[in-house]
Amino acid sequence: MRRVVVTGVGALTALGADADALCQALNRGESGIRHLDTPWAGQLTSSLAAPVTIPVADRFTKLRRLMLDRVSQLSLLAAGEAVVQAGIDFSGDDGLDCGIFWGTGMGGAHTLEQAYLESLHNPEARPRPSTIVMFMANASTGQIGIEFKIRGPSHTHSAACSSSAVAIGEAFMAIRHGRVRYAVAGGGESLLTLGVMRAWESLQTLARPDPEHPETSCRPFAKDRSGFVLGEGAAALLLESEETALARGAPILAELVGYGNTTDASHITQPDVGGQARAIRQALDQAGMVPEDIHHINAHGTGTRVGDLHETRAIKTVFGPWATKIPISATKALHGHVMGATGAVEMVAALGALRSGIVPPTAHLAEPDPECDLDYVREGARHLPGIQTIMSNSFGFGGNNVVLVATAYR
Amino acid sequence: MSSSLPVIQAMLIEEFGLTAEQVQPESELSALGVDSLATVEFMFMLEDKFKLKMTGEPVPIKTVGEIAREVDRMLAEQSPEGS
Repeated sequence: MRRVVVTGVGALTALGADADALCQALNRGESGIRHLDTPWAGQLTSSLAAPVTIPVADRFTKLRRLMLDRVSQLSLLAAGEAVVQAGIDFSGDDGLDCGIFWGTGMGGAHTLEQAYLESLHNPEARPRPSTIVMFMANASTGQIGIEFKIRGPSHTHSAACSSSAVAIGEAFMAIRHGRVRYAVAGGGESLLTLGVMRAWESLQTLARPDPEHPETSCRPFAKDRSGFVLGEGAAALLLESEETALARGAPILAELVGYGNTTDASHITQPDVGGQARAIRQALDQAGMVPEDIHHINAHGTGTRVGDLHETRAIKTVFGPWATKIPISATKALHGHVMGATGAVEMVAALGALRSGIVPPTAHLAEPDPECDLDYVREGARHLPGIQTIMSNSFGFGGNNVVLVATAYR
Repeated sequence: MSSSLPVIQAMLIEEFGLTAEQVQPESELSALGVDSLATVEFMFMLEDKFKLKMTGEPVPIKTVGEIAREVDRMLAEQSPEGS
């Protein structure tokens, strides 16, 4: 089996235009959460969100963006950052040996909502001809192929909050087992539309806005936590086999070594400690590691009452006494819940911690829930110079649990 | 001289970011990066602009001039005088 290494990362989030901006903002404890100022924000119970605020559409020609929903624009920019960092050109034969593994929860939500709005308000209106190819779930996947001439297998994963973590895990397996030598893996999400946000409000999992400091409203593992804040963004990894990276002299950022993926088979929204624990164990087993080998966890940590409690219990179940020794960060407090992209965003954050030796904080955690009694790095970013191994948890509606493990390359 | 050509050229420049030099009547759309789907998108824009109703039947259009000819034909068909 091949070793799988990371040679490029990319991220476009509420915290900035690239992966470095994300990691640095996380370490500073900066929040991308704010009240939306869109014309329809007043129709929401809470207009809190973590939007990408840098100009995005302008990065594409008018002709190109005619076919690109915002989610594809975000996806292309994040994937582009990873490809450029890896220093590889897929327009030649390498493009035949590269797969695309992309996750998204809702695909082109803006396009679909616009088409519905027009059609429902005016029976005479015809949706734009590009509507289908802009909102279909695999639109970003196909557009990444077109942009970078990647012509190997393509996979679109939709597993709610774990979508892009599944994508990274499956890309890892494809390279590990020799199906492809390269993969662009990650995900994108852009669902900050009136209809989608109202639907989320009805589900009653969103954070109650803090009246004075709205940017602190998402408080994972805190006693006063009340839910998450919807975000948007995209993140990507360029994965390749160790041998191709060494052969072309590419700088190796990290090695991907473990992937766990389980299904709760119990409830469509309620997380299950057993299912999460099995995914963590699977990832550790595949990595050939014991609990003491894990130096940092980027938690799923959404800030919901039941979610944080169950994740804490799952970590304790697998790690035993070592659970209290692991610095655990829930970065959704700052970049929001990026849904289908969140696994990839958090993997980029965790890889940033691995590379820099600085673990980001779990922000806004003034008073922990007594039942959430692990080390959540609540004091601020922590220097961890000896960090060698990271884990990233992503647990999605539908009962899908995905865990990724990476190490420093040596 | 097509009555719709100048408007169509201006719209191609505005909507697709093309230049005046690129949108000559004989210019091939595919060479400008305007593929078949973008052409259909553009025809929908023209429907709104000229208050036309297209039949939904595919029309073979390869050049900027052919767009104008098609729009002129529909304008003639669908104007009160043309009916």
